[in-house]
Amino acid sequence: MEYPLTRLDEKILSLKNASKKALVAYLVAGDPDLDSTLELMHGFVDAGVDILEVGVPFTDPIAEGPIIQAAHDRALKNNTSLTKIFKLVKKFREKNVDTPVILMGYINTFLANIKALEESYVSGSDAVLIVDIPGESDLKNIGIKNTNLASISLIAPTTSKDRISKICDNSSGFIYYVTLRGVTGSSNLNISEAESNINFIRSQTSLPVFAGFGIKTPDDASSLSKLSDGVVIGSSLVEMINNHSRKKEFKKIYNYLNEISKAISL
Amino acid sequence: MNNLSNLPNSDGFFGEYGGKFVPETLMHALKELDETYSKLKNNPKFIEEIDQDLVQFVGRPSPLYFAKRLTNHYSGPQIWLKREDLNHTGAHKINNTVGQILLAKAMGKKRIIAETGAGQHGVATATVAARLGLECHIYMGAKDVERQSLNVYRIKLLGAEVHAVDSGTATLKDALNEAMRDWVTNIEDTYYIIGSVTGPHPYPMIVRDFNAIVGRELRKQSIEQFSQYPDAIIACVGGGSNAMGIFYPFLEESNVELIGVEAAGSGLMSGKHAAPLNDGEPGILHGAKSYLMQDENGQVIDTHSVSAGLDYPGVGPEHSNLKDSGRANYIAVDDKEVIDSFHLITKLEGIMPALETAHAFAALDHIAKNYTSNQHIVINVSGRGDKDINTVATMDGISLD
Ligand SMILES: Cc1ncc(COP(=O)(O)O)c(C=O)c1O
Repeated sequence: MEYPLTRLDEKILSLKNASKKALVAYLVAGDPDLDSTLELMHGFVDAGVDILEVGVPFTDPIAEGPIIQAAHDRALKNNTSLTKIFKLVKKFREKNVDTPVILMGYINTFLANIKALEESYVSGSDAVLIVDIPGESDLKNIGIKNTNLASISLIAPTTSKDRISKICDNSSGFIYYVTLRGVTGSSNLNISEAESNINFIRSQTSLPVFAGFGIKTPDDASSLSKLSDGVVIGSSLVEMINNHSRKKEFKKIYNYLNEISKAISL
Repeated sequence: MNNLSNLPNSDGFFGEYGGKFVPETLMHALKELDETYSKLKNNPKFIEEIDQDLVQFVGRPSPLYFAKRLTNHYSGPQIWLKREDLNHTGAHKINNTVGQILLAKAMGKKRIIAETGAGQHGVATATVAARLGLECHIYMGAKDVERQSLNVYRIKLLGAEVHAVDSGTATLKDALNEAMRDWVTNIEDTYYIIGSVTGPHPYPMIVRDFNAIVGRELRKQSIEQFSQYPDAIIACVGGGSNAMGIFYPFLEESNVELIGVEAAGSGLMSGKHAAPLNDGEPGILHGAKSYLMQDENGQVIDTHSVSAGLDYPGVGPEHSNLKDSGRANYIAVDDKEVIDSFHLITKLEGIMPALETAHAFAALDHIAKNYTSNQHIVINVSGRGDKDINTVATMDGISLD
């Protein structure tokens, strides 16, 4: 290798070498507050999470179902901004240097903070997942230049075959396969369709393929992990965080993640 | 001014504005729509079907009417009214829905969804869906459900379901968010009829093209009735569909001034308004890059306008390009000017305009003085005001109960 491996590459390589499926966990930064987010990030990792997906709140998150929308609203009420999220990640790195952090959000908030975004790799962010840009777009062409951040793209059940190969060509890190037609937190998982689509994606790229959207139970996670290289858990975590945010007692959430982690390593 | 009328390009950009900034699940549906529209738009049978609907169902052409007393009131230019308020269902919105419902039919879609602010687009959509016997769902901000209750009831009478949207600011932008979420979920059997020249490509182009009948009629009528093209055309701008429809056939006529009027709400200086072209920055919302009301973190700012149909933080991408290129000018008038103008037009002309439309009329106070008595100004009367009686009464401190 000519280039040093990034934190994300290293994580993916080590999972592959250990024949382990990845557990990716999503939470919204600033929900219920940034200190809790920091605590939860470390707690998630201790509970078996391999990669963290930190949601950047936006006023108009059109790909989110009601649970994650409400979390975005709560985070915005706390004045959570991308600048504060970069500081959060920097703080997280004081104690954790090997868990990749992906910033997931909407293009308008990233474009509004373009300079800080371009510098965020240095302070410990690893990738962006921008929900509302065409997957085949090169970040440079939409105004995000000079960044070492990886760009994670989504592929949906409706993505045509010719676009799948274009999207794969323009992606790094991993491919995120959306397991349903719908918003986050829906419950219409389609496992057999996921299987054939993930197989096709694999024929187009050597990047690992993770599955997400609508995965709630250890059973869901287990079936999808058999077809893919990892699973993403989002809405169910965000719902639990909200349920436990008054007392800030997050142990039940860690137990849940632990169960998922076991279910996908069987 | 060359080639403004050849836009958007094949990626859906008007200069730097527009595009397709949507979740991946929608990308295929947008491509399908683009292909269907490209195939049908020059098909003689499709054109004939639309023309027939516009004449026999909508009641086109809409008259070009000389507003004599209004002209005397300003004692400046001759003021003419393009009467879209006389269309079936009472606004320009039906021009777009009769066209898009035929696209839905051609694509074999069984379920129709739409967002609405003032309720006019909701009514126009429910109307064409009823006519074809298609299931129809209308998303509307909870705040708008309240202030446009007459239209809500009309939509229900037409057999459509109204979904009140409580999230965010509970207005038009949130209705659009929710319609997009419905579309992502029901992508296979659902056609989304967007109600303005907003959203991802190809919508801004399609909605403009279907509304351009207004400008095409005006080209003919103005020559017939006053032997030249207008010196200026004024239209209100929410998403911008009535304005784009009347502007578009005149883009290459550089002697025709194009003036869009945004909602200044409580005043541009107050920050409480809905005027992104006057006081916004380029950003990306609802699938397109365009001027947007946003804060320094890229969060969309709450809007304020007495008019539900203009209460939207964004604007169609083509208007952003017309602004930057200087081809059109955009001004803003505040709520008070709008209510005053509503009363003035009603009393002087016996025409009760929609509050959205009253913005275009209110612009006369600012610009009529710049024109002389041998010049002609055309106002696009985008809709009638019956739906706004409750709001006007409240503003005037009158209870109708
Ligand atoms: C009568 C009328 N005019 C104007 C508008 C604003 O829309 P647009 O800017 O797309 O014409 C509306 C929207 O509801 C309307 O009902």
